[in-house]
Amino acid sequence: MLNIEDLHVRTGDADILKGLSLSVNAGEVHAIMGPNGSGKSTLAQAVAGHDDYQVTAGRIEFDGKDIAELDPEERAREGIFLGFQYPVEIPGVNNAYLLKAALNAKRKHRGEDEIDAFEFLKLAKEKMALLGMDPKFLNRGVNEGFSGGEKKRNEILQMAVLEPRLAILDETDSGLDIDALKAVAEGVNALRAEDRAIVLVTHYQRLLDYITPDVVHVLSDGRIVHSGDKTLATELEERGYDWVVEAAAG
Amino acid sequence: MNGLDLTRLKEHVSGQGPSALDPIRERAIASLESDGLPSTRHEDWKYTDLSVVAQISDAWLANPAAPISTTAADSLLAALVDDGEVDWLLLRNGNIEADGVKELAGVSVSRLSDGAHKPQLTTPLAALNAALISDGLVIDIESTPERPLGLLFLDDAADSPGLSQTRVDIRIAAEASAELIEYHASFGDNEHYGNAVLTLDVAAAATVRHLRVQNRSRAHSQTQRLDVRLARDARFLSASFDLGGKLTRNDLDVDLVEAGAHAEFRGLYLSGDGQHMDNHARVDHRVGPASSRQEYRGILFGRARAVWNGKAVVHEGADGTDAEQANHNLLLSEHAEIDTKPELEIYAEDVRCSHGTTVGQLDEKALFYLRSRGLAADDARRLLVRAFAAETLRSVPIPALTDHLGGILEHRLADIKDIPLNV
Repeated sequence: MLNIEDLHVRTGDADILKGLSLSVNAGEVHAIMGPNGSGKSTLAQAVAGHDDYQVTAGRIEFDGKDIAELDPEERAREGIFLGFQYPVEIPGVNNAYLLKAALNAKRKHRGEDEIDAFEFLKLAKEKMALLGMDPKFLNRGVNEGFSGGEKKRNEILQMAVLEPRLAILDETDSGLDIDALKAVAEGVNALRAEDRAIVLVTHYQRLLDYITPDVVHVLSDGRIVHSGDKTLATELEERGYDWVVEAAAG
Repeated sequence: MNGLDLTRLKEHVSGQGPSALDPIRERAIASLESDGLPSTRHEDWKYTDLSVVAQISDAWLANPAAPISTTAADSLLAALVDDGEVDWLLLRNGNIEADGVKELAGVSVSRLSDGAHKPQLTTPLAALNAALISDGLVIDIESTPERPLGLLFLDDAADSPGLSQTRVDIRIAAEASAELIEYHASFGDNEHYGNAVLTLDVAAAATVRHLRVQNRSRAHSQTQRLDVRLARDARFLSASFDLGGKLTRNDLDVDLVEAGAHAEFRGLYLSGDGQHMDNHARVDHRVGPASSRQEYRGILFGRARAVWNGKAVVHEGADGTDAEQANHNLLLSEHAEIDTKPELEIYAEDVRCSHGTTVGQLDEKALFYLRSRGLAADDARRLLVRAFAAETLRSVPIPALTDHLGGILEHRLADIKDIPLNV
């Protein structure tokens, strides 16, 4: 589903990704781990299409199609979702409005009718119940005054409503207490499906106690230097990153 | 002297009724003769040139034709009156309409020419106003009215240059609570100058909720002054919207004269091609404790010009003052210009004062966030501009006219053509 070959990405004057290759199939959950500054968030932003991250070489293919030239909104409508590490507060834009506009943009792209108000509300409330979110969050400004945990739940809510084919969750576990972490994990697990791929970008292993990945990758200095099954995450937690990084450099 | 033809003005005024206004007219003319209108050399008028005001006034004095009612003005009037949410008093083309003085429970409405009320003349523009008014409204709100009271300033200038001078003095009795709406609208493409002078005297423990809407013709100019005086524990809560007009200058002066007074006012101005919008707001803290908050927001696009000057003066002994001033501007075009200046003068010791201004473009992070959810770039930009305006819209202290205001604001926002990503 997602096929990245020899990807080089620059932001500002810095080359961050230096030949990253990654293949994620439908139905799989991959975890991308790595030390701070290794390029994890850059990878997430580049796949979502942020202008500040310039692809200087290599390819990003989604469903066999090169998406390098697509705007972020086109990628979103094709079914790529980025869960932000730092969800943006947008006072004055209602949470429900954004959810509905996002859903309708996608439906329109597929040639479907816009969702009616009643159906939308039913859908949103159903997904919120799953995530343990109070329906009153629908009428708040997008992430406005939300706690760290509420913001991350809101990201998962958007994902649950939009039902993307590829979800990249950037440090979704950071800043969460244990209840929020469990709720977020439950939301992610509920979305695991044969036709959907999920990429978890994380620094710590603890999210993986609740979401079992099929493949774990270690990213270091802009490249994937090691891949393994779920046991690799535990090993990284115990031994740190140095041994993998050194072995790769070795 | 700024061009104003005082000889012609005196000729026009002499013999104009009602004679009860003669003393104030004489005072006004004497004041104009000694001071004239302020020029751009005056600090408070540095960015707003009143020579256009003098020109239109002179043109009108040379030919003071009665304006012909426009159908657009008639339709707005009908729509607002039919809506039935507000008790309207109509000031059309500077005249108090016959049904503008009506019986309302708890409210006494009279005319300045009745002679019981002696108006203050605080500035040269207030003097110009007093010299040329046909009459003024005096409104006493004795107890909490059932419905919001609306002042509709409606001007037509389709055929010849127009001039309207309006004066309204309002007193709110102690412990009363009133909702007050000022609606300034005008129609027609000929030149027009409107000059409105209002005073609002709020007695102890009374509350005024105030909404001001200015949506005048893009060919018309206006100056407006509102002086608010707050007694002990009185509250003034206000939101103001400037959407139309060519040259617009608003002066809002709030005087906190007794302890416990609280003023909280916000403003939103949308200035586009060929528009000049100047907001000067001043708060005088004469005693403490008392508090004031002001926040103005501006959206500038095309070849727009805007000015904001927010001043708080904390007088000697006004300990316990809490004053905040803020001005935020979205600059959506490289051709737009804003001059913004917060001012604090503090002569007391135990005070809490803060001020801040920002001038910027749309938040890039928010734009990417919206686009990453599938919203087209242009839709995302418009949504962020609307969101910026919505912050003021949701602070309106009066529920009446919500839909109408949302509608005209949306209509005006649709005038913003291209929103560049970076200016």
